[in-house]
Amino acid sequence: MDVNFRKIDIDQYDEDVLLESELYEPDPRDPAQVVSDAKQKATAVRSSLAKGDIVGALTLALTDAPYGPNVDEAKNLNLQTLVSILNSTKSSEIPGVVKSLPPDSQDTLMKYLYKGMALPGWGDLSGSVLLVWHEKLTEAAGTGCIVRAMTDRRLV
Amino acid sequence: MAPPEIYPLAQTQAAITSHSFNADRSEVAVSLNSNDVQIFAREGHEWKPTETLSEHDKLITSIDWAPNSNRIVTAAQDRNAYVWQQSPDPQTGRMIWKPTLVLLRINRAATHVRWSPNEDKFAVASGARAIAICSFDPEGDWWVSRLLKKPIRSTVHSVDWHPNNVLLAAGSADMKARVFSAYIKDVDKRPAASVWGEKLPFNTVCGEYTSPTGGWVHAVGFSPSGDALAFASHDSSISIVYPGGPAIYTIKLTSLPLLTLTWTNENSLIAAGHDCQPLVFSGSDGGWELTGSLDDPNSAKSAGGSRAGLASPVGRLNSAAFNTFRNADTRGIGSAPGGSGESELFTVHQNTITSVRPYAGTPGAVTRVSTSGLDGKLVVWDVNQVTPVGATGLAGRMAGLRV
Repeated sequence: MDVNFRKIDIDQYDEDVLLESELYEPDPRDPAQVVSDAKQKATAVRSSLAKGDIVGALTLALTDAPYGPNVDEAKNLNLQTLVSILNSTKSSEIPGVVKSLPPDSQDTLMKYLYKGMALPGWGDLSGSVLLVWHEKLTEAAGTGCIVRAMTDRRLV
Repeated sequence: MAPPEIYPLAQTQAAITSHSFNADRSEVAVSLNSNDVQIFAREGHEWKPTETLSEHDKLITSIDWAPNSNRIVTAAQDRNAYVWQQSPDPQTGRMIWKPTLVLLRINRAATHVRWSPNEDKFAVASGARAIAICSFDPEGDWWVSRLLKKPIRSTVHSVDWHPNNVLLAAGSADMKARVFSAYIKDVDKRPAASVWGEKLPFNTVCGEYTSPTGGWVHAVGFSPSGDALAFASHDSSISIVYPGGPAIYTIKLTSLPLLTLTWTNENSLIAAGHDCQPLVFSGSDGGWELTGSLDDPNSAKSAGGSRAGLASPVGRLNSAAFNTFRNADTRGIGSAPGGSGESELFTVHQNTITSVRPYAGTPGAVTRVSTSGLDGKLVVWDVNQVTPVGATGLAGRMAGLRV
């Protein structure tokens, strides 16, 4: 059967098409502001990590995470910050850490885990580390957390 | 404390897309995932098929049986709605169901239909970014439809009427739950002012609420008084809105998304969906929480063992399909044809619950609810028989989860 018709962009024939930008509230911050926030957070996270405060570092990195268009630099920066936290956590500490995160941060962490899995070989990302975090996070926050990471259009 | 009554209506494991009981619960209209409505009549503890209503030529999506006027309205993917009324057959004198076509004027499938509390109007949700409000025009002897369009941006999944017969809640795939005025001059008296507003011409938007993390809205429901609105969305969350406050309480679930909900009283509601069990939420304008499930996963063992003997109570992720893939992945074992014996879940419903409706009691004091789902079962539950969340509840189910 000829299935090429499925590749036709039918939305271009619809004057009342639903746009991606209408599906979520845009980040109220200016892109430049988002980048400088991310840089500040990276520094703060490093000092938290030096003190061994994993939960504090994670909460910092996951609060006001950059999303939406035009903030790719900040997104990469925040992902790098987050990966450094994930990599420096002992696997025995992970269950305690994910349980003590507030639900919103758990959802954001899940988004970053899936983003990390979609970028094999990016920076010092390791698949096995991501999978351990994913397993522990799912035990703490349930499948609902995965569903939320998949439905949310505010991509990190 | 009666156990849930379980009726496997669909013999061939067909899904029940929609169900609606008549006023005295002696008959039920269901659609078994087809173009026909089946009416079953109660005979003791069984339901016997009595009549088939065939007129739609695409899948029926929703059925609603008006308790007082004894009329059935059906909506389907063929973009039509029919109102069915019983009248005597001219030859045999037997009562038969006569369809009346309703011109909805929509160009996509109708997805959901509900009679208004006074049964003089009904609302049809659709994929055409519109809700058709239909009322009977005695002069033309037909049902006329007026469309609620703005500001709907995507398919409307569900509708629910306010007890004042004028306001309508709608949940749609543009991630929003809305409250509209469906005031029709010839039918309605001027409604009294409520928490939702005072002046209510047709298509007034009285409230618009976005789902917490971008899930499309599956189900909406007004509380019995109409002063609160609950909506469940695909981000596994349920939100309860008090417009007077204004306060919005959101509960993020650890389980899969909810598809349907119904209020049992002003402080309690029951919602169900992909997790295959009806969950009970309770609260007030001070806050809401998940209190438990109507489905007790441990009761099955004492009740005959039909659901016992499972490896681990982990819910749907450990279903047969999951095991098949895992075996193929880790051990190189292919799937055995026909080997679906281990697909049984710990819950009463064996697949997604798509509809929960009040069964017994009065609005505001519902004592029993009925559910139907993709497993072809119709189940009647006692709303007071709640298994608390805890060791045997959701947390317990999730504890054994390994992804």
